[in-house]
Amino acid sequence: MNRTATLALIAGAAFAGAPAGAQETYEIWHYYAAGSELAGMNAMIENGNAASDDAVFEGVIIPGNVVELRRQLQSAMLGGQPPAAYQSSMAFELRTFVDSGQLHPLTDVWNTVNGDEIFPEGVQRVVKIDGVPYGVPYDLSLINNIFYNKEIFEELELDAPTDWDEFDATCAALSEAGYEPLGNAGGPFWSLYNFYAPLVSVVGVDGYYDLASGELGFDSEEFSTALDLYAEHMVPCYADNWSGKTWTQTADDVVNGDTGMFMMGIWVAAYFEQAGFMAGEDFDMFPAPGTADAAIFQMDVLAVPNGPDDAIAAAEVFIEAAASTEGQAAFAVPKGSLAPNVNVDPSVYGYAGASFSEQFSAASEAGKVLPNLFFLLPTDVGTELGVQIERFAIDPSDETKEEVISTLEAMRQSALEEDAFLNW
Amino acid sequence: MSLIPRSRTARAHILFLAVPILLFGAFYIYPIAASVRLSLHDWNGFSPDQRFVGLRNYAALWGQPRFINAVLNNLAWVAFMLTVPTGIGLALAAILDRGIRGETMFRIIFFLPFTIPAVSVGAIWRWMYEPSNGLLTTTLELVGLGGLAQNWLGDPDIVTFALMGAVAWWTTGFAFLVFFAGLRNIPEECIEAARIEGGSDWQIFWKVSFPLLWPSTIIVLGISAIDAMRLFDVIWATTKGGPAYASEVLAVQMYDLAFGRFQMGRASAVAVSLLVLSAVVIMPYIWYMTRRVQDAEVE
Amino acid sequence: MMADPLKRRQTILTRLVLVCAAIVFIAPLIVAALTSLKSPAEITRVLSLPTDLWWQNYAAAFDRMGRSFFNSIAITVPAVAFSILIGAVAGYPLAYMRGAGGKAIYFLLLTGMLVPFQIVQIPLFFMIQGLGLYDTVPGMWLVHTAYGIPFCTFFMRNFFASVPRSMYEAAQIEGCGPARYFWKLLLPASTSGLSALAIIQTRAIWNDLLFAITITSSDNARPVTVSIAGYASSLQVEYGPLMAGTLVSILPVMAAFLLFQKAFVRGLLGGAGK
Repeated sequence: MNRTATLALIAGAAFAGAPAGAQETYEIWHYYAAGSELAGMNAMIENGNAASDDAVFEGVIIPGNVVELRRQLQSAMLGGQPPAAYQSSMAFELRTFVDSGQLHPLTDVWNTVNGDEIFPEGVQRVVKIDGVPYGVPYDLSLINNIFYNKEIFEELELDAPTDWDEFDATCAALSEAGYEPLGNAGGPFWSLYNFYAPLVSVVGVDGYYDLASGELGFDSEEFSTALDLYAEHMVPCYADNWSGKTWTQTADDVVNGDTGMFMMGIWVAAYFEQAGFMAGEDFDMFPAPGTADAAIFQMDVLAVPNGPDDAIAAAEVFIEAAASTEGQAAFAVPKGSLAPNVNVDPSVYGYAGASFSEQFSAASEAGKVLPNLFFLLPTDVGTELGVQIERFAIDPSDETKEEVISTLEAMRQSALEEDAFLNW
Repeated sequence: MSLIPRSRTARAHILFLAVPILLFGAFYIYPIAASVRLSLHDWNGFSPDQRFVGLRNYAALWGQPRFINAVLNNLAWVAFMLTVPTGIGLALAAILDRGIRGETMFRIIFFLPFTIPAVSVGAIWRWMYEPSNGLLTTTLELVGLGGLAQNWLGDPDIVTFALMGAVAWWTTGFAFLVFFAGLRNIPEECIEAARIEGGSDWQIFWKVSFPLLWPSTIIVLGISAIDAMRLFDVIWATTKGGPAYASEVLAVQMYDLAFGRFQMGRASAVAVSLLVLSAVVIMPYIWYMTRRVQDAEVE
Repeated sequence: MMADPLKRRQTILTRLVLVCAAIVFIAPLIVAALTSLKSPAEITRVLSLPTDLWWQNYAAAFDRMGRSFFNSIAITVPAVAFSILIGAVAGYPLAYMRGAGGKAIYFLLLTGMLVPFQIVQIPLFFMIQGLGLYDTVPGMWLVHTAYGIPFCTFFMRNFFASVPRSMYEAAQIEGCGPARYFWKLLLPASTSGLSALAIIQTRAIWNDLLFAITITSSDNARPVTVSIAGYASSLQVEYGPLMAGTLVSILPVMAAFLLFQKAFVRGLLGGAGK
């Protein structure tokens, strides 16, 4: 459907359903309720409104996170009052809603914006279900970088480590000087994201996808070796009491010069800068060992529920604007994430964003762009993996390791029985 | 009860009960019946298809370490809520009832935390319990007890106790309020009579005041036990049941299964189990307490 | 009295206990108050004092809360009144009915207290939508009244049971019917119980988040808790405005507390039997 037709449709709908001259309001649901996340979301919605003559888009904040958003969507979808579009996670999240017949295929708008050209291949894989696009990406964050306090590194004359041995030496030096070497935080995500570095070191890109598709077992030699590598290099390096902190509390420790390094998604850079701790001056970053030329990413997309024609047409107008280079930059710059659209000029970012962008392009060329495993796995397996890795990070004993492996493997087996895994 | 009201009084009683029962049926019975039905199905929450699976959801839960852990946590919370916030509330009410200067100010302070929304309680106690720079650790270090500082919310063995501390802070104001009102309700003559007979303050409290506090006690204990079974908000806002399920209770598990993992059927089975467990643990208690009041009245 | 040294020591001791308890109760709130006045840069140090008073947090909180604050008042005041009334209406016959029927009904209503509210969400959404009350303030009244039934009934029934039965019997002898007795004698004599319940219900309804996010979706009816919860996002938490909003949102509940507390004590000191 082209844009004129879309607009005509909206105009028609508005004419039929409302007094002449009134504008229809369409809701965009999201859970980016605070700080730079909200700033990015508001900028994207404003951009959508600027691109639309008739429809007015209104952001609706669902307090909480993806879990609360799903809860709201459930009553809205079953009650037949879904939003025009909403913030969705990628991959299996989309799959669940598509299988339930709740999502509208975005083939038309995908073709209009030339989705196959403007989004990298690794990104495309996780928004298409059986070849049909159901989500249009707008918010991409790398999760395989380690951030460090420059002042501490300069004081101890340390350089960014490039392999596990150098990483160990850096940790030892920080520890000796009385700093906490590596920050981490409690919750099912952060230890898992850290674990991806040793995991990719052991299984490589292919093994990573094999794990995602259920072909590689959690009881395999490779997975066990990855756990050992994690327990050997990263876990001993963690700050005392890391599991009792939130990620922002650990980020505060880095700002305050108590903790040397922190492996976290690139949103932490936006948080640092908000606290006056500047990229390139106060902190810098390097890819975690084993992921030097890779980019592991977390991504949010816009998804469109099945609904009345006018709402779908309006959502497509909104998405078209959000996928454009201006729309993508409007969100990514204030949010501190990367624009998935490759045509966005890297000069729109600051120091940190530009280097992430470079890292992402290089990984794209090397074919080592890896989506967050959490969302590639069936939802319950991915969630359990997060829980079990945190458990192992708290207590990396042989006994726990065995329990972690058997719990996960049992889940894999039952997911295999139900044919739940997917080849991304 | 016969269907035809015998008297004007009985007719009036039935009229009085009509609206509450109607609302109750619509807002409680129907949703519970829907949950029971759902617990026998496999459903992701969004699909038009619900597959009937019989008791499989229950079978999958019972015996699972995660489920048992949550049940035990709920029981620990019941024990805690019945004793600690209740005991502290009673003690503060009894002390303040002696007629202390600044009574109003103390009353406000003790009640204040109870007025705070759960999400803010979670955020505040995340700082209280920050393990290296938080208020609790810092205070312990200041008074030379740094050795007692813990990884409050990050140690699976500690986290539930830490959360209990936060909840005690949050809910003690309720017990305090009800007990304080109850103490003020006790006729002055009863206390005076006991004092003339030469009882000490301690004796008077336990022999005279405390038994007369029964109506307050029934309310506080009943509500505490129920809150303990239904507990959700503060845990969700603080730890989401972590680390690694350590602080999980049934309501949190239900929520995680339903919306974290798209397992509505299994989540409903948790909800129904929670309902049954609550009924087993709490109903006999409330029943017993209610009868006691009636007996006391009849005497 | 002060001449007695033992008494005196006791008084000092009780004061000490009270002051210590008060410090424990108030300390977290002081930290919250300090945080509400810190700039984002200063918030990284938990226990520091704010160097400049960063009132912008309050401005930000008001900006976001604005309308929802008034919604909360519009929801809470009538909903508290309705829920107490219905609790009294249900509690009254249950306190006087003798026989298995009354007990069975009471037991049934009490089981409602055991229901975790998370499970009623979907059916509730459909009912409210069917009644045309989705995203309206009256919809919130209805929900809070309905879900207040078990607790309010429990509370009022126990309260009425403690009102001397002689009063009821005397009224009956004088030919006062059950409905007249309830409205003209029992309710006016129950100010203390009603006030205590009003305090509890005000707090519960004002702080509700679950029902609010289930059946409201816009500024038409959305209460302040939704706005406050909005400061805690998926990844980020804006602690400054969150704490500022929290402290401001406590005020109405405290006002209700002080208001009803007075009526409450007066009602008690005046005696229920007047």
